Amino acid sequence: MVYLFGLFVLLSFTPTHASAAEGDLFVIAQVSDQTVTSGVSSREPVAGVKISVFDSAGSLVGEGISDSNGEVKILVPARATYSVKLDTSTLPNDLTLLTGTTDSFTIAEETFTTQTKRVSFFIGDSGVSNTTLVEKISQRAADGVRLGLIIALCSVGLSLVFGTTGLTNFAHGEMITFGGLMAFLLNVTLGIPLLLAAPVVIALGGAFGLAFNWLIFARLRKRGIGLVSQMVVSVGLSIMLRNMFLFQFKGRTRPLDDFSLQQGMQIGPIRITPRDLTTGIISLVLLVTVALVLQRSRTGKAVRAVSDNPNLASATGIDTQRIIQIVWCAGGALAALGGIFRGLDEQVGFQMGSGLLFLMFAGITLGGLGSAFGALVGGFLVGVMVEMASLVVPSELKNAPALLILILVLVLRPQGILGTRQRVG
Amino acid sequence: MDWIRIFENTMRAFAGVDAAYFALAAIGLNVQFGYTGLLNFGQAAFMACGAYGLGLTSQYFNVSFWWGIPIAMVLVIILALLVGIPTLRLRADYLAIVTIATAELVRLVVRSVKFKRIFGGSDGINTFSNEFRALNPFQPSAQYGIWPFRYNGYTMFTLLVGWGLVVMIAMFVWLLMRSPWGRVVKAIREDEDAVRSLGKNIYSYKMQSLIIGGFCGMLSGMVFALDRGSVQPDNYSRDVTFYILTALVLGGMARVMGSIVGPMMFWGLYVFCDNFLRQLVQSAPLRVGGVTIIQSTQVGAVNYMLVGLGLILLMAKRPQGVFGNRQEMALDGR
Amino acid sequence: MADSRIYSAAALSARAALAGVEPEPGVLKHDSILHVKGVERHFGGITAVNVDQLDIQRGSITALIGPNGAGKTTLFNVLTGFDPPDAGKWQFDGTEMSKVSAHKMAVKGMVRTFQLTKSLTKLSVIENMKLGAIDQVGESWWNALFPLRWKAQEAIVEKRADELLSRFTMGHMRDEYAGTLSGGQRKLLEMARALMTQPRLVMLDEPMAGVNPALKQSLNEHIRSLRDEGMTILFIEHDMDMVHDISDWVVVMSEGRIIAEGTPAQISENTSVIEAYLGAHQGNTMFEEKH
Repeated sequence: MVYLFGLFVLLSFTPTHASAAEGDLFVIAQVSDQTVTSGVSSREPVAGVKISVFDSAGSLVGEGISDSNGEVKILVPARATYSVKLDTSTLPNDLTLLTGTTDSFTIAEETFTTQTKRVSFFIGDSGVSNTTLVEKISQRAADGVRLGLIIALCSVGLSLVFGTTGLTNFAHGEMITFGGLMAFLLNVTLGIPLLLAAPVVIALGGAFGLAFNWLIFARLRKRGIGLVSQMVVSVGLSIMLRNMFLFQFKGRTRPLDDFSLQQGMQIGPIRITPRDLTTGIISLVLLVTVALVLQRSRTGKAVRAVSDNPNLASATGIDTQRIIQIVWCAGGALAALGGIFRGLDEQVGFQMGSGLLFLMFAGITLGGLGSAFGALVGGFLVGVMVEMASLVVPSELKNAPALLILILVLVLRPQGILGTRQRVG
Repeated sequence: MDWIRIFENTMRAFAGVDAAYFALAAIGLNVQFGYTGLLNFGQAAFMACGAYGLGLTSQYFNVSFWWGIPIAMVLVIILALLVGIPTLRLRADYLAIVTIATAELVRLVVRSVKFKRIFGGSDGINTFSNEFRALNPFQPSAQYGIWPFRYNGYTMFTLLVGWGLVVMIAMFVWLLMRSPWGRVVKAIREDEDAVRSLGKNIYSYKMQSLIIGGFCGMLSGMVFALDRGSVQPDNYSRDVTFYILTALVLGGMARVMGSIVGPMMFWGLYVFCDNFLRQLVQSAPLRVGGVTIIQSTQVGAVNYMLVGLGLILLMAKRPQGVFGNRQEMALDGR
Repeated sequence: MADSRIYSAAALSARAALAGVEPEPGVLKHDSILHVKGVERHFGGITAVNVDQLDIQRGSITALIGPNGAGKTTLFNVLTGFDPPDAGKWQFDGTEMSKVSAHKMAVKGMVRTFQLTKSLTKLSVIENMKLGAIDQVGESWWNALFPLRWKAQEAIVEKRADELLSRFTMGHMRDEYAGTLSGGQRKLLEMARALMTQPRLVMLDEPMAGVNPALKQSLNEHIRSLRDEGMTILFIEHDMDMVHDISDWVVVMSEGRIIAEGTPAQISENTSVIEAYLGAHQGNTMFEEKH
C-alpha cells in the first residue's frame, strides 16, 4: 500500500495545468463559428471580435479582441457580478449571432468559484442544411465505425483479463483516462508533439496495466482472495483513481494541442476531419494486428489458451503468470491509445474513460466474456449501433440502446456471439 | 484549526440524515449482496425509484405525496424484473454489469430533456415535499438535542422519520434472516446447486431478495429526497452505490448491525476528513516546499480518493469489517 | 462369498424381484421406480450419454459402475435436471420427469448428492440439515416475518434432523460449522441432509470417494438401512468392494452406453465388462479387487 501512496505523491507533483500567477482572476470569452452539415456540428474559432466586460455598476472593467483561437482573456479584480458583451459590429462580414443565442452574458458572483470563468458566443448560420437521409445514415455509420473501433481496442484488455483471471475489472475505464491525461501532460503541458508523445503514452499505459497486476491483483490472487472481493477492490480502485484524476486535472475537459482544430473534409456523403480519418485507420490496422497476433503468434495462442482454460493451459507448460502479465500490459497499452484517440475526438477529462465503461461491458458481453475476438467484434458492433441509434433516439440517450443490447444478449444467448456455452443457472 | 467545530460536525454526521439514508440503502444492499450474494451494483437506481416516485406525485400526477409510495414500489418491481430476469440464472458477474448499466441508464433517462416534463430533467423536481413538511411536529428553525448532537427542527423531523425507518427495516431484515427463508438465501450465496438439489427454487429466492433489497433502497431514496426537498438526477450516480457498498463493507456484511453502524462510521469519518482538510486549506492552499499539494477546491476529490483507498484496504485486510464474522464470509467461495 | 447377513423384508422382496431378471442391458424390472428411455447428451462432438433404456427396481440398491468418462455423472445430471438432455424421456414412479426442473425433483421424491461434496460450510451442521426439509412454511418470505407461523414446524424439523444426525453418529457436531468437518464427515452430512427431503429414490454420486476405510463399513450399513426403510438407492461408485458388498443389482456404463446389467456375481463374469475396463486402461477391474 506504500506504493499507492507513492503513486499519489508522484501524481500530485505532475503539473498538468498552466499555472497563472496565484490569485489572478480571469473571464475568458470564446467565440466560435458553428456550422451544421449533414447533421454534424463543427465549430471553428473566430478571430478579431471585440469583447467587453462590465461590472454591476455598468463601468468597463476590461476588453479585448479574440485571437486565432477565438479567445479573449480579460483580467478582473475580484469575484463579483459581471456582464460580458460581444460587439456585433466587429463580427466578420458574413456572420451573425446564431439565432436563439445572446450577445451578452451575466456572470453571477456566486458562480465564480475558480480562478477563471468561461463564456461562449456562437455565431454562424444555424440553418439546418438539407441533409438527405442517406447522408445522415452514412455519417452516423461512419461515426459509429470510429467509435466502435475505439471501444473494440479498449475492450480487448478487459475481456482478456476476465478470461485469464476471472476478474471483471471495474477500473478499466481509468486506464483509458490515464492514457488521455498522460497525452495531455506530454502534449499540452510539456509541449511535445503528439506524434512523438503517443508512443511514450502507450508505453506508460502498458506500465500502468502492469502495475495494476503487480501491485494489487497478483498479490490478492496469491493470498487466495476470491473473485468477488477482487471485483470490489477494482471498484475501490476506480473511485480512487478517478478522484486522483479529478484532483490533478480539475473538472473541465480540455483539448489536446495538436490536431484539435481541424476543418472537416467531404468524402462522399460523409464529413470527417483528417484527424478522425487517421485515427480510424490506425485503429482498424491495430485491431487487425491484434487479431492476427492472437491467432497466429505463439504468445497469442498461449493467451487464448489461458483465457479459455487456465488450468489446462498451465498443465501444458504455459507460464500462466507471464501470460497474465502480458495481458494486463497489452490491455493497458491499448486502453492508453484509446485514451489518446478519445482525447482527440472528445477532449480530455477526468471521466473520459469511465464514461465508456458501460459501452465496453455491453460490447464484451455481446461478443462473449473472455474471448478476445469477441471483444473486438462486440465492441465494434456496440459502437456502430449506438451511433446509428442516435438517428432515432435523442443523442443524450444514445447509450440506452447499448443497455438494451446487453439485456437481449443475456436473455437470448448469454455466452455472446463468440463465447462458449457454459453451464448456466 | 477549530477542533471543537470539527468534533461537532463529526458527531452530528454519525447520527445525521446522510447516515440514516445510507443505512437504509446499506440494509438493502446487505440483503442482496451480503446475505444472498447478488452483485447489485445499481442500488442507486432503486433509490432513484423511491425519490422519483415521490417527485412524480407533484411533477406529473399532481396528487398527494403519499401516493409516491405505491408508485415507487411499482417502479422498484419493474426495475428488479428488468434487471433480474435476464441475469439471475447466470453467473454473478452479469448481474453486476447489468445493474451498473441500468443505473446509468436510469440516470440518463430522468436527466434527459426528452422526458423533462415527467422527470424534471437536470433541474430535478422540487415541489413535492410540502405535505411532508406540514407534518413536522418540531419548530423548523429551533434547535433540538444535546451537544454535540444539535439539529434544527427541520432536520430533527427527517432524522426521526429516517432513523425510525432504519429501525423498522432492520428488524424486518433481522427477522427474515433468522427464519428458514434466511437460511435458504444464505445457502444460495455459498452453493446454488446444493440448495437446488434440496428442492428450493433458486431463481425465485434471488428475485425476492433483489426486490426486498430494492424496497430498502427505495425508502433510502425517499428519505434523502424528503430531507433535501428535491430530487436531483445526479445524486443517483453509479458512485453512490459504491459508497454505500464501502459503508457496508466497513460495518460488516451479512450482519444487520454492520449495515447500520457502517454508514454511521462512514459519514463520521468522511465529515471528519472533509472538515479537517477544509480547515487546513481555508486560508491558503497546502504547500510543501513551494509546491501546492491541496487547494480548497480539491478537498472533495481528496476525500473521495480516501474512500476508494479505504475500500481497497478493507477488502484486502479486513473484509469482514467491524461486525462481520470472518468464518461466515462466503465471498471467497467461488 | 456365502452371504451370511440378515436381510430385511424389503430387501428380500427386492432381491427376489431381481432374481429372475435376465442380465441384459436395458432389461425391464418387475416393479420399476425409474424408467429411462432414449436419453442422449452430447457435448460438442462428443456423445457423453446415449442410453437406450434403463429400468431401476423399486426398493433395491443398484450400483452404476464403469470406467472414468463413461458418462455416469452426466447421466445423473440429466436425470436430476442439472443438465438438459438432447433427447429422451424418463419417468419417476409413473410421473414424466424430462421437463421437470432440478429444484422440483426433490419435492417429487428424487434426491441426489454430488461427486464433490457440497456441504454448506458457512452454515452449522444442524442448519445444513434443517435446510433439507421440504415444504417449510418459514421459507416463504411473508411467513418468515411472523415467527409464530413457522416456529412449531421448525421444532419438528429440528427434531427429525437431530434423529438423523445421531443415526449417522454426528449428533455431537450439530453446532459446528460444516466447514470444520473432515471430508468423510461432510459426505455423511450431505447424505443425511439429502434424507431430510424424505425421498423415495436416493441417487448418490461416489459416496465412498475420499472416505476412510473405517467409515466405509458404517456407510455401507447406513445405505442398507435406507433400503430397509423402503427407499431405492442408485449409486455411482468405483469402489468395487462396496459394489460387491451391498448392491442388489449392477449397471455398467462405458462410453455413454449401458453395456451390461446383472447381479454382482453375474457382472464379475461378464467378458464385455472386463473388456471395457481393461480396454480403457482405467481403474481396477473387479478381478484385481478380489483376493
